[in-house]
Amino acid sequence: MDAFNNFLTGTITLFSDPMGVLIFFGGVIGGMLFGAIPGVSMLTLAAILLPFTAHLSPEHGIMLFSVIYCTGVYGGAITAILFNIPGAPENAPTAFDGYPMTLKGQAGKAVGAAVMCSALGGTVSTIIMMLATAAIADWAISAFGPPEIFALVFFGLAVAASVGAKTFWKGWLSILAGLMVAVVGLDPVGGIERYDFEMPYLLAGIHFIPTILGFFAVSEIFVQVEKKVKGDFVAPKISVDFPSLSELIAHKFAVIRSIVIGFFCGILPGIGATLAAFMGYNEAVRWSKTPEEFGKGKLEGVISSETANNAATGAAMIPLLALGLPGGALTAMMVGVFQMHDMEPGPLVFINSADLVWVVFAAMFFANISILFIGFLETKTIINLLRIPFQFLAPMILLLATVGAYAVRGLTIDVIVMFLAGVIGFFLRRSGYSVAGIVLGLILGKIGEQTFAQAMQMLHFEWSGYLDRPIAFGLLVAGVLTLCGSIYGAFFKKNRRPPITSG
Amino acid sequence: MKLKKYIASIGVVFATMALSANIAYAACATDGLASSQAKPDGFPARALTMVVPYGPAGGSGQVAQGMATAVSDLTGVSINRDHKPGGSGTVGMTAFMAMPADGYTVLEHIDDASSAHALDSSKPNPAVDLIPLVTSQITFSQVYMRVGDDRFNDWDSFVKWVKAQNGRATIANVSKEGSMERVTMKFITDATGMKIQQISFDKGAPRYGALAGGQVDALFEQPGDVRKFLDAGKFKPILTILKERPSVFADVPSLTDAGLDFDPLFRFRGFYVHKDAPADRVKWLQWAFQKGFCQPSYQKFNDSKYMTLIESYRDTAGSRKLIDTTVAQYREVYKDMGLEVK
Repeated sequence: MDAFNNFLTGTITLFSDPMGVLIFFGGVIGGMLFGAIPGVSMLTLAAILLPFTAHLSPEHGIMLFSVIYCTGVYGGAITAILFNIPGAPENAPTAFDGYPMTLKGQAGKAVGAAVMCSALGGTVSTIIMMLATAAIADWAISAFGPPEIFALVFFGLAVAASVGAKTFWKGWLSILAGLMVAVVGLDPVGGIERYDFEMPYLLAGIHFIPTILGFFAVSEIFVQVEKKVKGDFVAPKISVDFPSLSELIAHKFAVIRSIVIGFFCGILPGIGATLAAFMGYNEAVRWSKTPEEFGKGKLEGVISSETANNAATGAAMIPLLALGLPGGALTAMMVGVFQMHDMEPGPLVFINSADLVWVVFAAMFFANISILFIGFLETKTIINLLRIPFQFLAPMILLLATVGAYAVRGLTIDVIVMFLAGVIGFFLRRSGYSVAGIVLGLILGKIGEQTFAQAMQMLHFEWSGYLDRPIAFGLLVAGVLTLCGSIYGAFFKKNRRPPITSG
Repeated sequence: MKLKKYIASIGVVFATMALSANIAYAACATDGLASSQAKPDGFPARALTMVVPYGPAGGSGQVAQGMATAVSDLTGVSINRDHKPGGSGTVGMTAFMAMPADGYTVLEHIDDASSAHALDSSKPNPAVDLIPLVTSQITFSQVYMRVGDDRFNDWDSFVKWVKAQNGRATIANVSKEGSMERVTMKFITDATGMKIQQISFDKGAPRYGALAGGQVDALFEQPGDVRKFLDAGKFKPILTILKERPSVFADVPSLTDAGLDFDPLFRFRGFYVHKDAPADRVKWLQWAFQKGFCQPSYQKFNDSKYMTLIESYRDTAGSRKLIDTTVAQYREVYKDMGLEVK
C-alpha cells in the first residue's frame, strides 16, 4: 500500500509540473527517435544531453535519462525490423525475424508486436521494480557472483550456438570467431597486451557497437547493392497491419517467459538488456514446436526479443538505485547525472531522496505506457522510411553508421572495424555462418572471460568449487546438456536445425 | 622487503603528511595567483579539447568534468571533453600525443601514466614528454569490510582470520600487473605474512557489488570512490594506507598503528599539455587550471570525494617532483617484484 501511495505521489509530482511534463515527453519522443534512426542510438542522445542535465533539477535530470532508457530500447527495434540494422545491441535478435517479416510485407505486424511487447515487458518490469527494489538487489548481488555470471554466459553461448547458423559447426565456428575477436586488447586480469600488433589503439579492444553496425548495417547495404546490380532488388512492401490481440494472446507463454528472462538478466550488474534479448530469443526457439520457422519471419521471435530487452530496463534500475551499481552504458551515464547534482545512487537515495526515486519510478511506468500510444503513432510515420528509394537511403545509413561507430569512443579504428565487419559479414552471410553468433561471441566473450578469470580466482583455481555453488553448477550443467543436445542433433537428426538467414 | 630502497619516496610522503588537514576553502592553494590573465595573442580563440583516457562515469571522467566546468566558469572558454577509454589509459595518451602541440588540447591522466613509464620507458614520461598544468587530486587507499560480517571486525581480527584461511580469503582489487593496487597489496601481504587471493575487477560497480554481496571478504579502494557505501553504513574501513590517521577516519588504524612499515603509494589525477606547446600558451593554461583548482565548484567536488583529507594540489614543479618520485619508487618496486623493467 505504501508503494501505491508513493507511486501516486510521484505521479502527481511528475504531471503537476509543466517543466516535468515537457521533459517527460521530450525524453519519450527523443528516445524513440534516436533509437529508430539507423546508426545512432539512445546512447548518442544521452551523451549529448549529459552536460545539459547540470542545468536541470535532479528529479528532471534523472527522470529524463530513465525515460530515454525505456523508449530508446524500444526505438532500436524499428530499424532492426525495417532495415536489419539493430538500433542497439539489445535489438540484434529482433532483426532475426523482424527483417524477414519486412521482406514478406509484414513490417507493420512486426513493429506493432515490438510496440506492444516492449510496453508490456517494460511496464511489468517497472511494477516489480517499484514493489521490491531493495530486496531484489540484495538477493541478486549475493546470489550471483562471477562464477554464476560465467555459467550464465556459457549457457547463453551454448543455446545461441545451437540456433545461430545453418549447421552445428557453422554455429559454433561463428561463436568462436566472436570469442577470438573479444580477446583483442588488454586481458581483464593482468592487463597483458594481446593481439595489438604494436597498434596502441587495438589495446582498447574491438568494441561491439561498430562490429554490430558493420555486420548488420554495412553488410546489409552490400547485399542490397548486389541485388540492385543483378536486378534482383525488390523494395520492401509497406504495411501497417498491426498484430491482432488474439495473435498476441497466442504468444502469452513467450511473453511471460521473456519477462522473467529479461528481468532476471537486467538485475545483474554489467549484464543488462543485451543478454536478456538474446536469451529471450534463444529460449523461444528452444521451447518452440516449430523451431525451423525462426529466422524466416516468425512473429514469436520479435515478441520474445523485444519483451525481454524492455523487461531488463526496469530491472537494471534496481542495482543502480539500490546499490549504486550501473548495469550498462546508459545506467553508468545516469550515475554521472546523479553526481552532477551532488548525489550518489545507492542505499541512501531511498532515504535522502525518496521523492526523486518515486518521480523516476512513475516516469518509467508512464514512459512504458507511452510506448503503446506514441509508439503506434510513430510507427505509422516511420514505416514510411521504407518508401525512400534505396539509392538515397543507403548513403544516409552509411553516413549515420559511420558517425555512430566513431561516437562510441572517438576512435578512427572503430570506423575501420565497422567497414571491415561489413565486408566480412557480406561474405559470411552467404555462406551460412551466423554474424549474430559472432556478435554474441564478442559481447559475451568479454563478460565471460572476465568472470571466468574472477571465478577461478575465487574458487582458487579448482573446478570442484562450482559444486558448492548450486546456481552456477546448475547453469553449467544446463549448458553442457544443451551442447550435447546440439551435437546429438548435428550427427543424428540432420536438417532439424533452423537456418537463421537474416543473421 | 628492502624498504630502504624506497627512501627516494620519503620526501613526497613527508611533504604530503605535513600538509594533511582539512583544507578550508578560504585558504586555497592558488588564491595568490592573479584573478585574471591576459590571453597571449588571443589564445584561446576557440574551445579547448580535453582528452580523457577513461569513461565519463568513473573517477577520471568526474574530475575532468569538475575541472572543465571550473576552468570554463573562470575563463569563459568552453572545454570539450573527448573520452578515449581503453588500454588502461594507453589509447587516450596515444591519441593525445598525436594531436597538434598548439595548446588547444589538454590531457587528463592519472598515476597509471607514471607507473606505465616506470615499467616501460618507451611510454611517455608525464614529467618530461608533457607539461603538468596542475595535479588536482591526490588520495590514499583503504581496506574495507562489509558491515555485518561477523567473522572479523577490525584490522587485527581480519589479519588473524585471513591467516587461518590458509590462502583462501579473497579481496576485490584492480589487479593489473604493476598497478598501484597490486604493488600495495604486495607490501601488505609481505609485511603481515598473510596470504590472500586478489580478485581482479576492472570496473568499480562489480567490484563494490562483490563486497556488498559477500562474494569477496574485503575490498581495496580509495575512500572517495566508496563514499556512498560508507555514508550508508554498508562498508567499513579497517585499514588506512597512510602513515597517520586522517581526522575523518580517526578510528581506523594507519600503517603505523598496524605495524606496517612501508611508504604508501598514492592515486593522483592531473592535467597536462604537450611539451612542445608554445610557452606563452602553456603559461596561460597553467594559470587557468591552477586557478580553476580553487574555484568553489571544484573545491566542493573535491570535498565530496574525500580529496581534501591530504593536500591534493601540485603546481607544475610540484607535479613533476611527484611524478619523478613516483616513477623512481615504482621502478625499485618492480625490480624487487621480478618484473622486467624496460
